[in-house]
Amino acid sequence: MKNLLEAQNLKAYYRLVGGTQIKAVDGVTLELRPNEVLGIAGESGCGKSTLAAVVSLTHNPPLNVVDGQVTANGFDLLTLPKEEARREIKGKYISVVPQGAMNALNPTTRIQSFAIDMLREHHPEMTKQEAINLARARLQELSLPERVLTSYPHELSGGMRQRTVIVLSTLLNPRVLIADEPTSALDVSSQKAVIRLLMTLLDEQIISSIAFITHELPLLRQVADRIAIMYAGKLVEVGTMEEIIFQPQHPYTRALMGSMLVPERQVRERRVEGIPGVPPDLKDPPAGCRFHPRCAQRIDWCTQEEPPSKTVGDRTIWCWLMH
Amino acid sequence: MKSKFARYLLQKFIWYLVAFFLAVSLNFFLPRLIPGNPVKVLVSQMATGGVQSDALARIYDNYMREFGLDQPMHIQFLRYFANLFRGDLGTSFMLYPGKVSNLIREALPWTVALQIPTILIGWIIGNVLGAACAYKGGRFDAIAFTSALAVSNIPYYCLAIILLYALAVHNPVFPVGGGYSFGSYPELSLSFLLDALHHYTLPFVSMIVVAIGGQAIGMREMALYELTTDYVHYSKALGLSDKKVIRYVFRNAMLPQITGLAISFGTMMGGALVTETVFSYPGIGSLLFTAIRQTDYPLIQGCTLIITVAVLLANFLVDIAYGFIDPRIRAAQLGER
Repeated sequence: MKNLLEAQNLKAYYRLVGGTQIKAVDGVTLELRPNEVLGIAGESGCGKSTLAAVVSLTHNPPLNVVDGQVTANGFDLLTLPKEEARREIKGKYISVVPQGAMNALNPTTRIQSFAIDMLREHHPEMTKQEAINLARARLQELSLPERVLTSYPHELSGGMRQRTVIVLSTLLNPRVLIADEPTSALDVSSQKAVIRLLMTLLDEQIISSIAFITHELPLLRQVADRIAIMYAGKLVEVGTMEEIIFQPQHPYTRALMGSMLVPERQVRERRVEGIPGVPPDLKDPPAGCRFHPRCAQRIDWCTQEEPPSKTVGDRTIWCWLMH
Repeated sequence: MKSKFARYLLQKFIWYLVAFFLAVSLNFFLPRLIPGNPVKVLVSQMATGGVQSDALARIYDNYMREFGLDQPMHIQFLRYFANLFRGDLGTSFMLYPGKVSNLIREALPWTVALQIPTILIGWIIGNVLGAACAYKGGRFDAIAFTSALAVSNIPYYCLAIILLYALAVHNPVFPVGGGYSFGSYPELSLSFLLDALHHYTLPFVSMIVVAIGGQAIGMREMALYELTTDYVHYSKALGLSDKKVIRYVFRNAMLPQITGLAISFGTMMGGALVTETVFSYPGIGSLLFTAIRQTDYPLIQGCTLIITVAVLLANFLVDIAYGFIDPRIRAAQLGER
């Protein structure tokens, strides 16, 4: 089957006052396949949220796309006129669960008025009652209380608000859901409820695939089919969940796994180590492989030239050690 | 839920009642702190007519008794309260035997007619302008916002004096002052209305320009803030049209502006003092100004009473109205959160 969403050599920079640019996403090629959860992980500031913003067309200046292509549903998203993207793509084909989703609802409208506005925006022929009925049926299907509809956001708990946002985002059965840190800032039981809700959406085929952006690797171990690891605006390794979690090959991925606390047998008795050094300044990233200043295994090549990709099976890796 | 709201109302009402009594007490004591004995002034004005000094002393005693000023302060205070409850605001010293309530009744319509249209129109135009500035941005914003900033920072009396000089003194298009032409009398006729409107223009313009500027700046700031909130980004990400998003934004940005509107209504009675004085407009402001200059206790008390009641009433109404507009405040009122 065809990929649902593809980014080709995508470059998105923040332009600062004075002309400096922060190269937050710098040449990323990644695809989202049908019926999968693609985890996108990396440290804070590695560009994963920027990537999410661009592929969901929610980026605003000073963030600008300087190069590359994003294709979805036969459209070239970055050249698509704004109005057409709004009608054909946003909320309908690609939907989002924004970072801090629990604060993403208008504080002075009831949930149902927002559901009505959203449904009727894309289906003008729908009556208000039909829209409410649709939203109510969806809540029942997902075992969320119906009272959510007549509530104001402040009347719901944080976890409930988060789940409400997910339900609202998927009312139109979008193929792609881009979830940016959907479980951050939630307690463990709310996290579990959110994950279960996302899995139900997939099982019921309400949505087809999720791009799950997070810095919590243990979470991806639970939900992801494939994982992409980002470092300093670039991908370093993409592979299946098992490959990335259990046989990481890129030195950065290995270091990341080494700093992760999971109750796996081989991890349990090992000392947890951090990664020495700090991520580079994306205004002026290091030449060659961006990880080389922190890499214990670097060779001369690493400091001079960017490593090309190497694909074996489902795994793609950007490291000179593999060549 | 209803009884909770009733309790909230009662609580607020008691609160405002206490505030009212405190304010009314201040209204009594503050004028009496002005140095000088108003009756002495009144009597000495008569002395120029060549009246005998013992006759003057009798007139003085008579006035002191008549106005109740011979009594100790606490008795005066209690009398003032008792009269207040009977709706008697007393007799003016200077315009004796004019009743304060009559003087206020004559002045009130002028102030209301000057202030309500100014506040309402200024508020509506100001908010639309501020919202447009925030939404459109760019050149439109640069020009409109800068002008609004400039005019709203002109003190309104200053603008009043400039207008007075330019359009009444130097270039006599409009009359220099008053509510109507000298010699005519307030009545319901076309010629009188036109005459009043002619006198109305300058004070109205001097106030509305400043009002529009101030409201526009407030609204622009609020709308700019709202435009960057999470719900705006989220609504757009789900493909909602700009029209709908703007509707959310302006509704939310309006909330503090409504408080502003009510506060302007509350302070409108005293707010026109300077404008009315500059244009010798026959409203409450001019009346209060004259009363203070002549230490006319009952008249000062009467004017400040009107201002007190207006401010408290406006605040009370805002407290109630806000709950209907903002569900978060309604929840707080009902003690839900």
